Amino acid sequence: MTRREWLACTAAAGILKAAPAAPTAPVSIAKCNSYDGDLAATLSTMYDQLGGLDRIVRNKTVTIKLNLTGSPGLRLQGKPLGVTHYTHPKLVFAMARVLNKAGARRIRFVESAWASGGPLEEYMLDAGWNARALLNLVPGVEMENTNNLGKGKKYSRFKVPGGGYLYPAYDLNHAFEDTDVFMSMAKLKNHETCGVTLSLKNCFGNSPASIYGDDAKVDEPNESPTSGRGAVFHAGKRGPAKSAPQELDPTTSRHAGYRVPRIVADLVAARPVDITLIDGIESVRGGEGPWIKGISVVQPGVLIAGTNPVTTDAVATAVMGYDPQAQKGTKPFVTCDNTLLLAEGHGIGTTDLKRIEVVGVPIAQALYRFEA
Amino acid sequence: MKSALWHAISLPHYNESMLFALMLALAAPADWVPARWTWTDPATLDLLQGTPVNCLLLKWNSEQAQAISTFSERAAERRIATLAIIEPKGDPADSARQAIRAKMTGIVLEGDFPEGTAGRVRDALADSKAVVIELTSRSRLKLGGPAPILATNQGVWAGIQVMDDGHAKAGPSGTPWIDTNTGFVRAVKAWGDTPLWIGNLPPPKAVVTGERYLQVICDAAMVGARWIVALDDDFARRLKDKDPATLKQWQRMGRHLQYYEDHKEWRAMRPAGKFALVQDVSDGALLSGGILDMIAVKHTPVRPVPRQKLNIAAFKDVSLAVNVNGESLTPEEKEVLRAFTRSGGTLLTGPPGWKAQNSTNADQITLEKQEMERLDTIWKEVNSMIGRRNLGARLFNVSTMLSDLMSSPDGKQVVVQLVNYADYSVESIAVHVLGDFKHARLYTPEDGERALEVYKNEEGTGVDIDKVSVCATLRLD
Repeated sequence: MTRREWLACTAAAGILKAAPAAPTAPVSIAKCNSYDGDLAATLSTMYDQLGGLDRIVRNKTVTIKLNLTGSPGLRLQGKPLGVTHYTHPKLVFAMARVLNKAGARRIRFVESAWASGGPLEEYMLDAGWNARALLNLVPGVEMENTNNLGKGKKYSRFKVPGGGYLYPAYDLNHAFEDTDVFMSMAKLKNHETCGVTLSLKNCFGNSPASIYGDDAKVDEPNESPTSGRGAVFHAGKRGPAKSAPQELDPTTSRHAGYRVPRIVADLVAARPVDITLIDGIESVRGGEGPWIKGISVVQPGVLIAGTNPVTTDAVATAVMGYDPQAQKGTKPFVTCDNTLLLAEGHGIGTTDLKRIEVVGVPIAQALYRFEA
Repeated sequence: MKSALWHAISLPHYNESMLFALMLALAAPADWVPARWTWTDPATLDLLQGTPVNCLLLKWNSEQAQAISTFSERAAERRIATLAIIEPKGDPADSARQAIRAKMTGIVLEGDFPEGTAGRVRDALADSKAVVIELTSRSRLKLGGPAPILATNQGVWAGIQVMDDGHAKAGPSGTPWIDTNTGFVRAVKAWGDTPLWIGNLPPPKAVVTGERYLQVICDAAMVGARWIVALDDDFARRLKDKDPATLKQWQRMGRHLQYYEDHKEWRAMRPAGKFALVQDVSDGALLSGGILDMIAVKHTPVRPVPRQKLNIAAFKDVSLAVNVNGESLTPEEKEVLRAFTRSGGTLLTGPPGWKAQNSTNADQITLEKQEMERLDTIWKEVNSMIGRRNLGARLFNVSTMLSDLMSSPDGKQVVVQLVNYADYSVESIAVHVLGDFKHARLYTPEDGERALEVYKNEEGTGVDIDKVSVCATLRLD
């Protein structure tokens, strides 16, 4: 265990009284029972409660990482993807309007499209989104599939400040560098490997399968990826393409519950998140997508927004009925380390609810127990 | 005109000329819309009102000859043909003669009879001009022959495969695997325009939903074949009892059958696109779940070319071709493919072992697991070759659907047939078609037709469809 990990695991348990104080930031919660209302107005109110978006995005390029995990062809009970495990398109449209109104110069939606190196627009079409309408919604909207080079000419290297848990740095699509503001637009749901999928875990998808995918080439990226990252990231059975930084210590655990939370914390430390939004209007529990057995649909009816992914996720975890500082072995982190604590260990943000100001609806009123 | 047959028939209600006139009033066999019928009560004919079903297949039973005779007579009054199903037992020619004497319109030889049986039955009925249809296994279809109708009882019940845990089974293509007859039908249709019937009894001990009945009907019809409607026992009982919900489902089936009968012009269209697949019966062309079905799941338009019909004309406008079995070609056929590649076409030839094993087994309808696994490798090669290329049309948000691209002979009109195999409607479908089209119309069985907006895109013409319930047809001019 590294010093940083030890700090992450002991701070919450109260063992280390002088744990470094990770920064805090307010989090806004809004009750919202439907995707059919005036979502833009709700979002504007939420971000106003956080101090306003203008100060963050005016005349800036904003890159928004969506959560479009898994093949769009895989659907739970045939339902639209947005009401189960994808970020809902109506929320995406609303966010684009809000960002435009706040003065964003360019709004770039990104996702590492599952098993695809094709344009994100086509992936969205496969998800049933009207990609043309989104591109034309407000001036400056762009899309980029970050699963490979995309529209860029080279990958951008992001070092993990102070060294990473598993990797010292990550090579990502240029979109993560060619931006002023980075936003994680996630879904409120469980995750089979990490317990919860929120704004932090959403950033696991920042990594391109061209480099970190199972069919990445040994020495260089495979610009036509057709698989996930199971062998490289989850199981550590092979390394990423050698063009990218390799694992710090290949003798560490190969268990996905050890590796994936650390990789997520590393990725967020390397490419910080400036704005968060978690879609909890309709979602799933029991896993992150329909390929997980036993998942079911839920309607928590909440939106959670912030400017710090750890504080946002801490509040979101609490809204789901969990302790955001729970240790491994405790739900929802039954077989994994707590990503939030690991991110806190990187100094990204605090998981201590007592230090996080919640504006809008209190946690108690927004509570929706995912284990119920 | 008088025949010896009519002398032998007792005519309780009609004289022979009247009956013959009724027979003449029947639709031509090419226009028959078939259904298996388990009843001989003439009152059940009322159930056919509002449906295009005009050809009933009844199991021949000599002990019920009188009832069948009365039923057939009443059916003929309504211009409905009745066909006697005769199975491989006893003397089929004798049974056929009895059935025709009972005023049935024709004979269906269902099963695998000894070679030459159909000919003997036709000879026995020569004077009656009764139609004899062989409803046989896929491997015994006489492709390219003179039969008025090709028919097989080895249809698969089309639909999304669901595993024991309720999850949809995903195929090598990564999307939900759809059991379909479309690849088989297209392989057969590549041999000629003979009408094709395909059917099977409902899966035993299974609840067949109303949607599933629609899916099997549309699965066959979208590629120009007709599904032989066959009802499960429970549905049939409820229908005969005129249960309101069942009647409603039955009427819906009728509307979907009628939809394709109202647009016979679509059957005259030809498979379109720039992708050809050279495949022979011995390579598994007649098995479901094969390479044609895999390509279909990717919604890549493909033109099947039987090896025996391999010629330069078959490759007109084709830019990409797959030859499934490189070893089976004659020198002349190889030369055709060489000419294709010399003209700039890309050809992928399968290595030895590509062809499906046991594909001539009469009982085999679908690929076996081992063959599926081998096909996975093939699929990856084909998939890699196709990539994101638009070979006629690309469709989006269609993972629970299959499609078929066809064009008019002059190429000025294309039609995209769509069938949705999920039990829910699919919303927000995008279709990108090669070429410059000015107008688009969407046809559906339940909501009629309407114009759609077309837009230009990098691939040619784009159209967005807001919703497809079970089936729809997009026409572009």
